[in-house]
Amino acid sequence: MTAETTTETAAPAPTASPASAEAPPKKPAKARKTSFTQALNGALDLAMERYPEMFLIGEDIAEMGGDFGVTRKLLAKYGPERVRDTPLSEAAIVGTCVGAAMVGMRPVAEIMFADFLGECYDQIVNNAAKVHYMFDGQFTAPLVIRTACGGGFGGGPHHSQSVEGWFLNVPGIVIAAPSNPADAKGLLLASIASDDPVLFLEHKALYRARGEVPEGWHTVELGKAAVARAGADVTVVASMRMVPMALAAAAAADDDGISTEVIDLRTVKPYDAETVLASARKTGRVVVANEAPRTGGLGAELSARIHEECFAELAGPVVRVDGLDTPIPFSVPLEQEILPGEDDIAAAIRAAYRGGAR
Amino acid sequence: MDTPTLRGLYRDMWLIRAFEQGLEREFEQGNVPGMLHTGLGQEAVQAALAAHLEADDAFFPDHRCHGINALAQQRHAGDGERIMAELFGKATGVCSGKGGSLHSADPAVGNFGDNAVEGSYMATVLGVALAAKMRGEPKVACAIIGDGTVGRGEFHESLNMAAIWDLPVLYACVNNGYAISMPVGEGHASANIVDMARGYGFGCEQLDGNDVVEAHERVGAAVAHIRAGNGPRFLELKTWRWQGVFAGEFRPEAEVKYWREEHDPILMAADELQARGVSGDELEGIEAEMRELIEGWIDFAKASPAPDPAKATADVYVGWEVARR
Repeated sequence: MTAETTTETAAPAPTASPASAEAPPKKPAKARKTSFTQALNGALDLAMERYPEMFLIGEDIAEMGGDFGVTRKLLAKYGPERVRDTPLSEAAIVGTCVGAAMVGMRPVAEIMFADFLGECYDQIVNNAAKVHYMFDGQFTAPLVIRTACGGGFGGGPHHSQSVEGWFLNVPGIVIAAPSNPADAKGLLLASIASDDPVLFLEHKALYRARGEVPEGWHTVELGKAAVARAGADVTVVASMRMVPMALAAAAAADDDGISTEVIDLRTVKPYDAETVLASARKTGRVVVANEAPRTGGLGAELSARIHEECFAELAGPVVRVDGLDTPIPFSVPLEQEILPGEDDIAAAIRAAYRGGAR
Repeated sequence: MDTPTLRGLYRDMWLIRAFEQGLEREFEQGNVPGMLHTGLGQEAVQAALAAHLEADDAFFPDHRCHGINALAQQRHAGDGERIMAELFGKATGVCSGKGGSLHSADPAVGNFGDNAVEGSYMATVLGVALAAKMRGEPKVACAIIGDGTVGRGEFHESLNMAAIWDLPVLYACVNNGYAISMPVGEGHASANIVDMARGYGFGCEQLDGNDVVEAHERVGAAVAHIRAGNGPRFLELKTWRWQGVFAGEFRPEAEVKYWREEHDPILMAADELQARGVSGDELEGIEAEMRELIEGWIDFAKASPAPDPAKATADVYVGWEVARR
């Protein structure tokens, strides 16, 4: 059991991110208690200052500041050329980003709800993810598509989905998935700085989460997971909203004498196999927690990979916690039937500890 | 149009026809992988567009794009044979063989690549145009599309956004009468595409895409208008493709006869040149010269090496390597 701190509300800032080396040498970067939304807003502001080639584009992002307030006040500071409202044309929004990125701009799109990504799926899958490859490296697509995903608030079938599985099978795309305000800022700045196209998932249930966020230019390296909580007996691999739930479940498991490690993937594609597999080998008991439907998603991939590469070191099979294989219903009690919660993760930790049987 | 200009367009059209006919022959012999969509019969449209697009402009070529790709490559980089090599999937191709017929690109000559998903780049072209506008560059971003693309949602999203943002986009719709097998008038609310584009409120014209004199003049006027910062333009260029569908010719005999014999863009230009006193011998000489040039390109493509197998996993990401098997 470790003394790593956890809170019920949000994961702590990662203890060491590569970007912390960029902070002035003598005094550590100051941190302020900030919401997830404010952290994203601050990151966009800093990046707009740093990159004159950057612009924001999306529906109701300018005067209104976005459906969740992430782009608030940026219109006043940067003007309508660089904070650009659009009609309801998701394909044109993402296509505009791809074309602009191909000629050296650094666009950041907001797709209001991840459920709408179907409208621009072709642009993401066949253009953003492929122009670098199919044209032999002659173009890059340094763009970010921010979008609000996830359920748990009665949003109904088209405002609640977890979509990472839609894109896991698409080579060329990066998927960032922060679980706390510090990572929201750090991953967004790293995504904007990246020359690869990034789908940036913002879980709606996290927008109001508060946490310490380093001031100034703070990045979290893409493709690197964080050990959000160290432990010896069971590993939980999670992302986004599943991370605070996993931390709470892990704290509860302490009472049963089960020392639980929580890996926050932070980037779900390409994911940090090294950190995941190292933790799996260390504890020999693994829970994989995802909000998305069970079949064919991130949980399936992680479970398969862990079994393939760590089979001899496992004390039992990987235990999966997922959403059910259904659409998301509107009525909250029905939604709760579908989506995994803290209790499910806690039960899975105990099951894994006993050797995998639930 | 002066005679030297027309003679140059005639030469360009023969380059395209020789290219496509040579390619067809090689495809039938099994030397060209994949599928083949030729631009035979549509040479005037491609020659007219290629004549006005500069290396600093950006064009997204259509499904039958070998001709404009080759002309742009030859004119701006002097190595048109690399378009042929790309179609053979060779290391010397413009994309090292990774793109092929529908994804040949070279930004150095303004070629931003076709897209096998019809209409997909109708959205992409907006970004290239928006970047040019934001930077104050006198660039023309050109989307060359077929009539079938008008059925895609991106067509309408694109025209709408280009209009509200006043973007420097040239839409060149190559209406060859059929989306694979579906006649234009059955697939769209109007057989005249221009009628559907007009609602977006910027200048739209329909013209004879097989009359290279008219096509060259109207494309030139549209490009000048856009380059001067006056916003988008839409051209519907009516033409006809020689290639049938996969199972062969499906169109009425009289229609085939009209387009191939009476309204062939090369024969029309030849008639005009002869009326201006250019000799038949000179015209035959141009054809022979282009056929020889293209045979040299085919020889180059055949003799070129296959791509390095390491290319298969290269450039998936900028920031990550993808493991080889």
